[in-house]
Amino acid sequence: MQEKSAHLVGAALDIRIWEWLVGLLIIGLMVFVMPIPKVVAIGLVFAAAVVKAVLVVRKYMHLAAEHWLLCVLAITPVVLIAGMAIALSPDIAFRQ
Amino acid sequence: MEAAPSIETVVQFGDGDSIREVPAPRLAVWLFLTSEIMVFGGLISCFILLRIAHGGWDAEAAHVHWRIGAFNTLVLLTSSLTMALACTSAKEGKEGMARRLRTYLGFTILLGLTFLGVKACEYSLEFAKGLTPGAGLFWAFYYTLTGLHSLHVLAGIILNSTLWIAAARADLVPVVQRRIEYAGLYWHFVDVVWIFLFPLVYLT
Amino acid sequence: MSQAAAQRKALQVAHLEELSFIRKYIFSTDHKTIAKQYLGISLFMAIVGGFTAYAIRWQLAWPSARIPGVGTITPDAYNTLVTMHGTIMVFFVAMPFLLGVFGNFCIPLMIGAGDMAFPRLNMLSVWTFLVGSLILLASFFVPGGAAAAGWTGYAPLSARPDLTPAVLGQDMWIVALALEFSSFLMGGVNFITTALNMRAPGMGLWRVPLLVWYEATASVLFLLSVGPLIGGAVMLLLDRLVGAGFFLPAKGGDPLLWEHLFWFFGHPEVYVVALPGFGIMLEILPVFSRKPIFAYRALVYCALTATGLSLIVWAHHMFISGMDPRLATPFTVTTILISVPFAVIVFAMIATLWGGSIRFDTPMLFALGGLTSFLLGGVTGIFLGSAATDIYLHGTYFVVAHFHYTLFPVTFFAGFAGLYYWYPKMFGRLMNETWGKVHFWLTMLAFQGVFMPLFFSGIAGTPRRVFAPNEYPLFKAIQPLQVHATIATVTLLLVQIPFVVNFFWSLRRGKRAEANPWLANTLEWCVPSPPPHANFAHTPRVRRWPYEYSVPGARLDWSPQTESGDTMLPAAGGQ
Repeated sequence: MQEKSAHLVGAALDIRIWEWLVGLLIIGLMVFVMPIPKVVAIGLVFAAAVVKAVLVVRKYMHLAAEHWLLCVLAITPVVLIAGMAIALSPDIAFRQ
Repeated sequence: MEAAPSIETVVQFGDGDSIREVPAPRLAVWLFLTSEIMVFGGLISCFILLRIAHGGWDAEAAHVHWRIGAFNTLVLLTSSLTMALACTSAKEGKEGMARRLRTYLGFTILLGLTFLGVKACEYSLEFAKGLTPGAGLFWAFYYTLTGLHSLHVLAGIILNSTLWIAAARADLVPVVQRRIEYAGLYWHFVDVVWIFLFPLVYLT
Repeated sequence: MSQAAAQRKALQVAHLEELSFIRKYIFSTDHKTIAKQYLGISLFMAIVGGFTAYAIRWQLAWPSARIPGVGTITPDAYNTLVTMHGTIMVFFVAMPFLLGVFGNFCIPLMIGAGDMAFPRLNMLSVWTFLVGSLILLASFFVPGGAAAAGWTGYAPLSARPDLTPAVLGQDMWIVALALEFSSFLMGGVNFITTALNMRAPGMGLWRVPLLVWYEATASVLFLLSVGPLIGGAVMLLLDRLVGAGFFLPAKGGDPLLWEHLFWFFGHPEVYVVALPGFGIMLEILPVFSRKPIFAYRALVYCALTATGLSLIVWAHHMFISGMDPRLATPFTVTTILISVPFAVIVFAMIATLWGGSIRFDTPMLFALGGLTSFLLGGVTGIFLGSAATDIYLHGTYFVVAHFHYTLFPVTFFAGFAGLYYWYPKMFGRLMNETWGKVHFWLTMLAFQGVFMPLFFSGIAGTPRRVFAPNEYPLFKAIQPLQVHATIATVTLLLVQIPFVVNFFWSLRRGKRAEANPWLANTLEWCVPSPPPHANFAHTPRVRRWPYEYSVPGARLDWSPQTESGDTMLPAAGGQ
């Protein structure tokens, strides 16, 4: 994807990213309506969401070109939330 | 530095710490977004954990209007495009920038209002069926997550509108040109939250 | 400065002289004025919080007696008192006093900046804080009274409006806290951005004074930890208003979820308060020992380590909550680990004093008192951090004594130290030194008298948040401990009067302060007392580390950060 769009800049790049975002949305919806096991569907839909989010953050919010500290600021809370959710899961999700 | 330092000035001090080269408002917006990720992340985690605890809430979740949600997702993604186009035109600063910026920003605002209008209709459909925040834990989460998100959309619309109004004045255009980047960061963040909320609430 | 620039500067200054009273003192964007506004609000709230402490302690010493100035109180009213005491002291005294006052006042001056990065956002933050404080105070006067579910607001007591008399009061508590969180989020963003972005030329990260490091780190910690609780507060409000059920078992919710969300923030919060307190002590100790701070870089790493670790220790508040017992060991391990950076900080402080030429002025006395008291409090935390001993001690007065032996030194000893130290810079006058010493000694002794007995009361098993523990035959024999603590509390509150008188008297009649009464190195002492609106007439050029005291071979025992020579020159065009 990087290579295909490498020559695009400015408004053209913005539109190309949008095309990818809409495409991923359609893929997610197709996975949702298809008769596949629920766990697989959730995994695929979530993966599509992650790719969309990364596209927006890297290309629309320009995080790829920013100082490394801003990347740390963006990733740290995600790691913390994941850690908190894991720590809470025995109590909240899997309570006997 | 005769007066208080201009926050929009990027100055190199040659002391080796590169963080000074990041303009203060950009650093500040990212710090703010860090705390916002913690807010939404916390709520989303609670939703996921309690949903697992209650066996998935499939019966309740069947009542969400996923087609309406999908349409709204398309609306918000497109508003991110128009916002990005506004910021790109501001950065490039070419001929006719002010007019182009106002056009793209205007579309962003309209799409944002569309999102909220659709959401309001969706809420009224659900209220009519008796699916209120007190109707069970799934619905409590639904309204909390989408409601908090919608408030953030509203704040973004207000912020964008102040820039849109200001850009009508020729003397304020350079200010808008500098600051639209920060409004863009906030708006894209609101979009990213929805990118995760939509599948979480509608597609599971 | 060029001719044109000098004219612009003069015009700007002249324009400032024309600022109305409202723009200069009420709706001010000047970080120094905002700091003083935080000071006024926090000291007022401290009086309110102190009053609640008085009522609590009187009730505990002489249960169901008439409390002078209050009357007799019911068990429900007692719950409200302990709730509001904790809420006010942590959120509306400690936070504004340590972060709002010293963060706002010192950060721009110490890094050589003219103001914060976002002065108008700064003004918004102090006004948001004021509105939150007023809502909290107003909650005392609404039907049902103020919140009564503990400063920790555990569900379902806090989540169901029918379980305490405070229906509207508990809602107002949530709203007031939400405003306080917003205020310090705004302030935190300001502090971090300013400290990273607006340092004077020559001030690399390793020449930044420790107070700035510690204030900025505390702000980062607050930023990272408060989010889930903001979500939790929204959930709690919905539980109360529409019966959403997030924390209500009858509706499928989980009260333990609230505890996790609260303490995920609640534990980092105590370090958000402790770090600036240490920062203040770390500034004062070198100045009054005429010695460099010991292990500066280690101290910076300690602040960062403590920040990181504090995000993974929270469940040590929940060892007996009924949470999954498998969580006990990991959280015990992380909690014991976090004592390491704080031990290093304390050792570094002691090593700074070692061999120094100690001057026992009031700021130093408070810093030393804070250090010794905190040491005792910190050590007792180890018993509470280990799940095995905590099972016995949780919910007893041992916990109360522990957290007062840490929070009080960090808030009040360090806070008073900072106030006596920076008062000349803030107000252009010196506080009376003799009365300062009186204030210190009486406060120090009274403080020990309040909380030392409570350790023993707790070990004997006395439960906290109980209206009248002496009703249990088990605790009748140790009731004298409660009486001693109460007498000491009344003393502690009364001996603050000399401080209040000294503070206001010195504003008008104190000895006029020169730019650098303490002969300190950091940049704020290079400008007049009090500084002009734009702080520095010229951008300072930083050439030194801030802690070069008693450098062998130097002419003086101190060296300002700006000078490569060793005398301090008044700022050109200033004074």
